[in-house]
Amino acid sequence: MKLFTIAGLCLCLTVLGPGLNLAAEEPVLMMATTSSTDNTGLLDTLASEFRKAAGIELRWTATGTGKALRLGENCDVDILMVHAPAAEKEFVEAGYGIRRREVMHNDFVITGPEGDLANIRGKSIREALTALRTRSALFVSRGDNSGTHKKELFLWKAAGLTVPEKESWYVQTGQGMLSTIHIAAERQGYTLTDRGTYIKYEATLQGNPPLTILTDGDPALMNQYSVIQINPEHCANVNAGLARKFIEWIVGADAQKLIGNFKLLGKPLFTPNAKP
Amino acid sequence: MQPDGSIYEIEALEHIYAGRSVLRIEQLAIEAGGIVGLVGPNGSGKSTLLKLLGLIEKPSRGSLRFRGKVLDPFAPRARHHVTLLPQEPSLMKRNVFRNVAYGLRLRGQTDQLEARVQEALSFVGLPAEHFARRPWYALSGGETLRAALAARLALKPRVLLLDEPTAGVDAASAHLIKDAALRAQREWGTTLIVASHDRPWLYEVCSDVLQLFKGRIFGTGEETVLFGPWERFTDGTWGKTLSDNQHLRIPEPPGPETPAVVENIILGETDRNPSPDQVHLQGVVSRLNLAQKTGRVFATVLVEKLSWTVPLTQEQVLHRSIYPGKTVTIQYRLDSMRWV
Amino acid sequence: MDFLLDGLMQAARLLTGGDAETYSAIMITLQVSTLSMLCSLLIGIPLGFSLGHFEFPGKRPLRTLVDTLMALPTVFIGLLVYAFLTHRGPLGHFGLLFTLPGIAIGQTILALPIVIGLTATAIESLEEKTRVTLLSLGANRRQLFLSSLWEARHGVLSGAIAAYGRVMTEVGISMMVGGNIKWQTRTITTAIALETNKGQFGMGVALGLVLLAIAFGVNLSVSFLRRKT
Repeated sequence: MKLFTIAGLCLCLTVLGPGLNLAAEEPVLMMATTSSTDNTGLLDTLASEFRKAAGIELRWTATGTGKALRLGENCDVDILMVHAPAAEKEFVEAGYGIRRREVMHNDFVITGPEGDLANIRGKSIREALTALRTRSALFVSRGDNSGTHKKELFLWKAAGLTVPEKESWYVQTGQGMLSTIHIAAERQGYTLTDRGTYIKYEATLQGNPPLTILTDGDPALMNQYSVIQINPEHCANVNAGLARKFIEWIVGADAQKLIGNFKLLGKPLFTPNAKP
Repeated sequence: MQPDGSIYEIEALEHIYAGRSVLRIEQLAIEAGGIVGLVGPNGSGKSTLLKLLGLIEKPSRGSLRFRGKVLDPFAPRARHHVTLLPQEPSLMKRNVFRNVAYGLRLRGQTDQLEARVQEALSFVGLPAEHFARRPWYALSGGETLRAALAARLALKPRVLLLDEPTAGVDAASAHLIKDAALRAQREWGTTLIVASHDRPWLYEVCSDVLQLFKGRIFGTGEETVLFGPWERFTDGTWGKTLSDNQHLRIPEPPGPETPAVVENIILGETDRNPSPDQVHLQGVVSRLNLAQKTGRVFATVLVEKLSWTVPLTQEQVLHRSIYPGKTVTIQYRLDSMRWV
Repeated sequence: MDFLLDGLMQAARLLTGGDAETYSAIMITLQVSTLSMLCSLLIGIPLGFSLGHFEFPGKRPLRTLVDTLMALPTVFIGLLVYAFLTHRGPLGHFGLLFTLPGIAIGQTILALPIVIGLTATAIESLEEKTRVTLLSLGANRRQLFLSSLWEARHGVLSGAIAAYGRVMTEVGISMMVGGNIKWQTRTITTAIALETNKGQFGMGVALGLVLLAIAFGVNLSVSFLRRKT
């Protein structure tokens, strides 16, 4: 008899449980985005402001840019916020997305051990990568087809170098940015990261981090975030109206100001750059 | 065979297990209300026959009718009247009361459940106040068997099938088990079918005894089975030399190991001129049994280590003063032998 | 190392302080794992009984298949279920992607081989005597099924606990099918993955301890039940 009582309780929990979440009957906009926007907490701020402004609930799933684009292609989300301009353009050209708008940018940096054996401090990205290659200095890559990884591949090519896929000094982690930074730190290697993740990394170590920023400020290191609405002609099920409202809102003056004022651990993280 | 007198009728039955024929019975009828004994060595098909009669399994071929009807193992009506106590029965993982009440609950007979369980337990000498709440693992071997029997007796079955009910239990438990089974037969008219190695008891209580060997019924238990291997003597006859230098002779066997069945064994006369197809052997009477139904007496005679069943009349017992321990001569005719 | 100690303290704070995000993740984890366990037990026990009880051609290979499927990687199941539930997939129009029932489908697939396999083993390990006993006392098919399960209850329960352990702790399916959406499909395990990605190792440890505490509670009540029967 006790078994039945417990089974009954579990059943109630299962059946009644989801009801707790149904309190808000607002329209829901589903977004796929990259982990960097989620990890920093920017989306939490944006979502709550968007709800106040438009009465629409923003939900998101945070993955790598590659998977986010696939979710869009498969009509599983209404909107994307990603940072891989070349892949985004292809996505739009293929007819999967419309209304791509640039929203904000931050930048990438190359971090490395304080000792900087390859001597890349203060160099341009082109010189820095060439130096890493010549010295066969340990370089830790994301290797996960994420926006950051795509950027890194682009930078090697832009510097006129082949991607050192097979070199013993080139390590691919296949993991997130923070894990990759930790691996680079453990192995005294160099890595390419977005500045936001580095700020979090630096903060968790409370000063004295084993990795410091060695190369930054090069225009090629800009990290551009854009939103793309999923093409309703490609996906009949998507919420085109809500997606359009979000895009209009985020490129608007209020949201842009919000992004500019967003700070992580006291440091501004993103520069809004939506064209009016 | 009157249909209304027979509770079971078997015709051209064969049961195959794992590709091997384990039981073959051309014809058999079992009368209601009696006590039938099954004897035979291990693996002779006794347990298989009991499972078929208990409607636990369906015969591979042929027909088995219970009260005139052919039945499926899952036909509930008939199975509620028949119950089998398997060899080394196990209790279910619940306390004694629930074990005994299980069958009644299945049948939906839950009025006076407590009283019926208590009655069944008292039948087998397990007072309910001491045993009803005990878990299944807190019983001795003999108590487990008696509780298992109580679970069957609680059902007041028409047929109670017992497979080696007294094997491996202490004398007191064996006595209680036999008593309870006989009481069920006496009080409720339950048909008892018992497989046992306890021949004296079977001969004492049974109305019929069936002897099984290699899946066949070949007699009523009054026969003696002799096992090979056989050797050919120098004079061309067949048989085997016993360790006390007596010669056991048989006709030419179909195979070197084929068991032989001997019937019509008699106590040897002081026959001066034994005919060549008669065999005489000397042995010691080890036991005398009374067959209840016929009033006949059976002597078990040990010749070296072989056990022979010799039917006797009461006069013979009296006049030739047969008693256990007496040395006697037994004789049989070669032409009265069969092969199994 | 200090983040371990830090995590221990945070776990206590999360549980006592009534942290809304943590409680949401706990509730979601409990809901989805209960739903998937109910489904997998309901489907798996009869199948496991059949596999253990009946003799039929192809039984051995089937058994091997079930045992092999116990090693299904969760990410693979996640991908498989995603392929069916995506809006462009065959079951897309049900809108189950990024929902708890969607995760439950994947977790049911994860738990099924364990429930089936261990139920079959428990039923197989019942002696032939048990079957004869039940039949000789008059059990019909349904009663034979229920009573055999009851006799094998400890084995079946172990299977259920093993399956529950896997369901509670999997990340791949929840992440892939559920999408780790805050307040909606964020389970304890996907929250751990997120916190770790964010570098909040202490928070990750804390949530891990919370999960462990739930598992402990479940096992405690199960072992209490086991002693009672």
